[in-house]
Amino acid sequence: MENHYKELSYDVLVVGGGIAGGEAALNLANIGYKVIIVEKELSIGGKMILLSKVFPTLDCAACITTPKISEIDRHSNISIFTSSEITKIEKKAEYEFVAIIHQKPRYVHIEDCTGCQLCEEACPVNVEDQYQYGLVGRKAAYIPFSIASPRVAAIDIENCTLCGACERACPTSCIDFTQTDEYFRLKVNSVIVATGFKLFDPLKIPRYGFDRFKNVITSMQMERQLAPTRPYNTILRPGDGKMPDNIAYVLCTGSRDKSVGNPICSQVCCMYSIKQAQLLMGALPMADITIYYLHIRAFGKGFNEFYGQAQEMGVEFVKGKVAKIKSADNGNLFLRYEDFEDGIVKEAEHDMVVLSVGILPNMGIDDVFDGEDLNLDEFNFIQQSDPLASPAKTSIEGVFVAGTASGPMDIPDSILSSGAASAEATSYLRRIKS
Amino acid sequence: MNVEKGKTVKFLKEKMTVDKEVINNLKSFNKSKKAIINSLKEGSKTVPQLAKDLNISTQDCMYQLMSLLKYGFVKTGEIDDMDEYFYYELTEKIR
Repeated sequence: MENHYKELSYDVLVVGGGIAGGEAALNLANIGYKVIIVEKELSIGGKMILLSKVFPTLDCAACITTPKISEIDRHSNISIFTSSEITKIEKKAEYEFVAIIHQKPRYVHIEDCTGCQLCEEACPVNVEDQYQYGLVGRKAAYIPFSIASPRVAAIDIENCTLCGACERACPTSCIDFTQTDEYFRLKVNSVIVATGFKLFDPLKIPRYGFDRFKNVITSMQMERQLAPTRPYNTILRPGDGKMPDNIAYVLCTGSRDKSVGNPICSQVCCMYSIKQAQLLMGALPMADITIYYLHIRAFGKGFNEFYGQAQEMGVEFVKGKVAKIKSADNGNLFLRYEDFEDGIVKEAEHDMVVLSVGILPNMGIDDVFDGEDLNLDEFNFIQQSDPLASPAKTSIEGVFVAGTASGPMDIPDSILSSGAASAEATSYLRRIKS
Repeated sequence: MNVEKGKTVKFLKEKMTVDKEVINNLKSFNKSKKAIINSLKEGSKTVPQLAKDLNISTQDCMYQLMSLLKYGFVKTGEIDDMDEYFYYELTEKIR
């Protein structure tokens, strides 16, 4: 194995190519540092690139993300490794880190693919599209999503029938089934960890009926339904294609809930639900939207006004805790909940339910550090060694944290955190010379 | 090993076998694709009408139909009188 490593050398390694990692990389690249971004997915852009609009301005998420992603992609000081994971990071000495990158085969030569989608058309397979959160299918030869970066095809080898139709259809012969795993040994002076978050899996709360009742969806599935690159022709129930007119939101699904092991607030589920409610009222003018909440936490700049705007638009807010969801034969859903204001248990009927899922840590990055320990906090997010004075510093000198890897936060805070991480990294790198 | 460009799938075929589940998934998709297209040849239908016609659940019908919409075999028509369900019809690609 040792002989198979290809050697690389950069100033900074950024682990994770979401909006936090991308922003940190861009800041460093703009002042002349050579940066490598290692991203496990097929595209950079993280979760933000898949969102519809952002709160509280209702700006289009893709319109903000795409130019930034394109700038990162084309920057001469940034190299991007997609479908790649870091398997080991060792601090040999101050300003000297050695990392091992494992790049999985994409079975497509990125530089030769024009993104023409002829392979997609030729592929006979249909499997769940992970970038549409399972609402629709995709091919085994596919472009991850229309604004992906790089916008080139990939072969999902686990679901490929090896029929060769994609290869025969490809006009540039960029599909290559001889590709194998590649390993790189990387020398860098500093590391930024921007591994982001994962969403709570609502299967862990069986009483909400997610997956059993197809008209119970997650907020990320609704986000996809609201995006211009949506899976359906409009907002529809996945259970039977009916256009919903009475939608309920269940806030704090999997957050502020000790019974599922996540006692902390997700910081964003109140606001993104309020945002989606406003967007739904625009998309479905006749629809009633009800938000079941414990407390509305509208703490950021312009957030409380945004909440007030939703109330004025007619979104109904019910202070209560949903205990159970049952399904009727027509696909409608009955929510049994405790109404906190009246102090009694009530039942309400809706034709679609959105579970506003919380934010959990993306585990595993601490395991790749060899020698020195990257400490985690009690909720398994990366511990900030000095959260008030230097929020980007970690337990290892020279390793910094950006974005939601350090805890739940919204997009503006993620960008701020990336600014802090890149400034700390710059300050660290400047000390090499002195 | 020298493998001819554009014919590299042979190389991998010799090295790995395709999972049975993958083959079954392909067969099942082809079957439902054919059934949906044949049913829509009779005229445009809503998801519940199509599901009843094909004797499958509305959720499976929705998933398969929306995949065919994405791939350009099906397009959206009018909404029904109750403003609840859209009618779906075949595109020129099929007719």
